[in-house]
Amino acid sequence: MAVSRRAFVRSLTPRVGPSSAAIAARGREAWAAEHPHGEEPQAAQESPLAVRLNSNENPLGPGQSALGAIERAFAYAGRYPMNARPSMADFRTLVAKQNGLKIENVCLGAGSGEILECAVMAFASKSRGVVSAAPTFESPGRTAKRVQFPLTEIPVDDAGKLDLEKMSGASTGAGLVFVCNPNNPTGAVHGTDPIASMVSKIAKASPDTVILIDEAYHEYVTDSAYATAIPLVAKYPNVIVSRTLSKAHGMAGLRLGYAIGQKDAIDKLARWTMPYNGNALVVAAGVASIEDEAQIERERRRNTDVRKFTTDFFRNNGFKTSDSQANFIWVNLRRPAQEFAQACEKQGILVGRAFPPFEKTHSRISLGTMDEMQRAVGVFKNVLGLTTTTAGGR
Amino acid sequence: MALSRRGFVSTLGIGAAGLVGGRILSGGRVIGPWSRPFDEALFAQGAQPLLLHNNENPLGPGEKALNAIRAKLTERGIPAARYSSPAGQLASAVASKFGCKPENVLIGCGSTQILRNATFAFTSPTRPLVGGSPTYEECGDVAKLLGASIKTVPGDSNMRHDIEAMAAAAVGAGLVFFDNPSNPAATVHPATAVQAFVEKVRSTSPDTAILIDEAYHDYVTDPAHKTQIPLALETPNLLVARTFSKAYGMAGLRIGYAIGRADTIKKLRELHYGLSTNVLGLAAAIASIQDDARLQQEAQRNTEARKFTVDWFKSNGFKPTDSQCNFLFVDVKRPAREFRDACRKQDVLVGRDFPPFEKSHARISIGTLDEMKRAVGVFGQVLGVKAAAA
Repeated sequence: MAVSRRAFVRSLTPRVGPSSAAIAARGREAWAAEHPHGEEPQAAQESPLAVRLNSNENPLGPGQSALGAIERAFAYAGRYPMNARPSMADFRTLVAKQNGLKIENVCLGAGSGEILECAVMAFASKSRGVVSAAPTFESPGRTAKRVQFPLTEIPVDDAGKLDLEKMSGASTGAGLVFVCNPNNPTGAVHGTDPIASMVSKIAKASPDTVILIDEAYHEYVTDSAYATAIPLVAKYPNVIVSRTLSKAHGMAGLRLGYAIGQKDAIDKLARWTMPYNGNALVVAAGVASIEDEAQIERERRRNTDVRKFTTDFFRNNGFKTSDSQANFIWVNLRRPAQEFAQACEKQGILVGRAFPPFEKTHSRISLGTMDEMQRAVGVFKNVLGLTTTTAGGR
Repeated sequence: MALSRRGFVSTLGIGAAGLVGGRILSGGRVIGPWSRPFDEALFAQGAQPLLLHNNENPLGPGEKALNAIRAKLTERGIPAARYSSPAGQLASAVASKFGCKPENVLIGCGSTQILRNATFAFTSPTRPLVGGSPTYEECGDVAKLLGASIKTVPGDSNMRHDIEAMAAAAVGAGLVFFDNPSNPAATVHPATAVQAFVEKVRSTSPDTAILIDEAYHDYVTDPAHKTQIPLALETPNLLVARTFSKAYGMAGLRIGYAIGRADTIKKLRELHYGLSTNVLGLAAAIASIQDDARLQQEAQRNTEARKFTVDWFKSNGFKPTDSQCNFLFVDVKRPAREFRDACRKQDVLVGRDFPPFEKSHARISIGTLDEMKRAVGVFGQVLGVKAAAA
């Protein structure tokens, strides 16, 4: 499967219609979250031939073990996910066991997106707002705005890191603090110590505030100062950690994520989630994928290589990138993200949307396969006007 | 949680005369991760219980649907890894089936998401939810989360919704939930009566939304029944919900939809979590909705197994309602729990309690004919019936 895909990518002729510009500029995952189908007829026209570096997806998809599990779960396609084998409960039990916790400490989401939205509904209100960052993953902030809960967005620093100090300060009296680590779109990661000290500070100053730490890109981190915040759950009743199978596990289209926390917090959160949000086939794939540590290790290594290649390209050409620990990079291209995205799109490469307040200077570029990135940097060179030494000249 | 939640709901004050408390509409199935409708240990012991407790289709999706999933797994571009969703394609397929536009359709993670969103959109602490009794609990569960009050209207002597009383209760309400056929009663309401109900609510309380849940539509054999999708497409504030979980056999794949006027659908869409559906389920649904032959085959299979089961109960002196679904609601003359626990000991799982009939009625989903033959053997023992089943 991977092989045929690469072959196909190599032979592609870009023919991306102008109609997909809006999606290219804003990112598939944001677009889909904001515009459920029916309002996005353009989606159908988005060229399948484009190299998609716009939504932080895993270009290889689920591993073989996960694909096999899907096929084996066909017998349960007609059963509600709690009646399937493995069931939603089996998945939760597995996650709990891997983290030394109990099933009651884990709830599922149709992707972690559902967890993020439901956390806003469960823990914030018109009088207890949401504290988030700018830029960061938009879902909690967007949900807060939609339901008119107060929203405080603390700008990241020059390195793209969250300002944990200011976020802590703003958290007093808030309902929910959203900490995306590594942060999307900047890729910056925060070490165990600063996260632990932030949690401790908020727990002291504002014990009713829930701290949602989103570790969507956890598996891609290589910085040894980082570790998951899940151990904090044992000590703090108001810490919830969210994870997704959309990234390293390659299942963005299958919709499975989860949250970990103390029973009471998970209980409150889960009341807002849909009761059967885990798909019978996907829960099976999730169990297989979570158990297949070798696959995730391979995927991490593959991504690290590609990340280095892409980061080096930009740095060697005088563009500053953040120290990305995710499957995308954040780069100061000294031009509007929209302008860069549209120019790349014309040459068959889709890159990330505009992320205010950096929309005038920075772009987020998801990492594809090495082949895709080699092709992409060719396009980036053209678009950025870098001199290339092409054999034969003009 | 289960207990405190039920306790909470039953204390809700209901103002209107003739209405019973909110606990029937809400709380029958506890939402959230603790929901465990059967004993996991049954499976752990390697037993193969008959799953007659969740109104599932025992055959699952058709071969065309499964092939569509297989194709998705090997498709170029690896859709399983992508956020691009074919939900729009499914919306188009649904729209062309019913002669409307994709803007009239909203695809959900099962019809559950539709029921939840409708409750979010239309009820509030000042705009109650109205439903029958007994009825499917999803909207009630959400109304409780929102602090919206719940008006439940007892059914008539044939276990059909009391349409007059529901119309009266609808005045000033945010949302009326009307399941047709009704779950757990399994009864259907004639199209003329449903239309008259809609007309009445429209004239007395035009701001009240009506959600007609047609989850079991494809199993109905009563010719007086008709889908209200055409009416929803022309009537403000009227929605019909459908699911692929029943006759299409896709409960595990989580796809359903709402259909209605574009302005009504828009109210749901505004608060709809758009990344709720998965590409495998969507692909299977797109293949299924074009497979009318499979649907008819499934309906026929269910009708036969239903008749066999209904006849068994009737010939043994038990009264089932006039089931138009893939389940029965039957007066087993003893508490549902007692019946359920006894059946479970013999590896047959049947439905949960449905107040106010939990002392007398059990809901039994219809499996395959072979499964039902096995099941009635167990029912006969549990109910103390002299063996007579063929």
